[in-house]
Amino acid sequence: MKSLMQLALGSLLLLSPLALGDDLIELDDLLDIDDLSDDASSSSGSAGIADPFEGINRAIFGFNDFTYKEIFEPFSKGFVKVVPNPARKGIGNFFNNLSFPTRFAGNLLQFRFGRASQETGKFLVNTTAGFAGFMNVAPEFDGLNPPAEDIGQAFASWGIDHGFYIVVPFTGPSSLRDLVGRFGGRAVDPIPEPWTQVDGSGTRLALQVTVIVNDLPEIIDVYNSITEPAIDPYAAVRDGYAQLRAARVAE
Amino acid sequence: MKARIPRIAFALLSISVAVLSSRADDGLDAPKNALESTIHELLEVLHADNSQLPYDAKREEIIGILNRQFSFDVIIQRALGRNWKRLDEIQQRQVSTLVTDLVLQAYTKELQDGPKPVLTFNDPEVLSKSKIEIDSTAVLNGNKVNLSYRLANIRGRGWQVYDVLVEGVSMVSNYRKQFDEHFQTKSVGDLINLLKDKLNKA
Repeated sequence: MKSLMQLALGSLLLLSPLALGDDLIELDDLLDIDDLSDDASSSSGSAGIADPFEGINRAIFGFNDFTYKEIFEPFSKGFVKVVPNPARKGIGNFFNNLSFPTRFAGNLLQFRFGRASQETGKFLVNTTAGFAGFMNVAPEFDGLNPPAEDIGQAFASWGIDHGFYIVVPFTGPSSLRDLVGRFGGRAVDPIPEPWTQVDGSGTRLALQVTVIVNDLPEIIDVYNSITEPAIDPYAAVRDGYAQLRAARVAE
Repeated sequence: MKARIPRIAFALLSISVAVLSSRADDGLDAPKNALESTIHELLEVLHADNSQLPYDAKREEIIGILNRQFSFDVIIQRALGRNWKRLDEIQQRQVSTLVTDLVLQAYTKELQDGPKPVLTFNDPEVLSKSKIEIDSTAVLNGNKVNLSYRLANIRGRGWQVYDVLVEGVSMVSNYRKQFDEHFQTKSVGDLINLLKDKLNKA
């Protein structure tokens, strides 16, 4: 019995903050401001991305910036007035649900079979209980809200680097790896060629334009929130893209 | 008597675990609660009846609230990184104020124009002995945005935000890339003029 008491007392000692080491935060362990600043000076910063074609990319960025501000933004403001937020949300949910095969393929290519089955469950629930996907009801269920995966993320999980940064006219930031991934994603997307499930090129085009127009207000908001407070909007978007993709891959 | 000893031992063990866990939780709850109340207070100010007033009219109030939990001097110094030493003391103060105003002006406008977002704060995650991260979500118009606040326990200040991550994108790292790019071809004077220009146009 003595040993049981010793075990209890021993456990008490083991559980003391000293013994816990890094697992228990020491609230009186203070940092000096200089420590934090030195830490910033020495660190390499965020996920990087090579930009050997910066000159061309900056020119396309300038074109995109003009197009977003002078054409897309005024159009998007008008669109928001005509189509209310719940309707836009519903349309967005519908097309997002349709792009399930791309996310499913992204998971399979990363051997994330659990998440692939979660995506399948999400698709089935939203297609049925969510009225053909117009309502995103899946997050109400545990385990039916997996993070969105794509083919570019799968390539990254295989150890393939970005290659280099590319600014695509109209659509904006990408990289060699992610652009190839995007084309790969089209192979399993039910709207565009080559795996299209939609008859008639006119209908396909109309659907693709609808997706872009519907997403435009959100894209413009995100673009403005990055570029307006930026010292160098081009560098801000490039680094934001690299960090965002790194975070998604790590997720 | 024999049966009571294991029970006492078990009770002692349970109490010790409970006491130690509550000590850790209490310690980490304090910065979380303080951050939560700071952000809520900021939103109250931004969505008050006078919400259409420009940033300049509410600047002092906004900075007063945020200064309790956000060390802007540390944030800007970290964002400038190795470039910080290129600036003399006057320039350092000037750039700190201008960048703080530029960022706050942009986000103030964004936050006060729409409906009030619904915020949720998760329990802090320990990054190191003096650093924690508090993940949160803001739901605005049905869209969810993930925001993470990184806090350090700074001598003389307590728990202070030293970086904010939006969807995993660190603001400090993002600005550092921009400053690095700027100083490759331009001077401190150019930076100050650029910042003033942007603030005037906004």
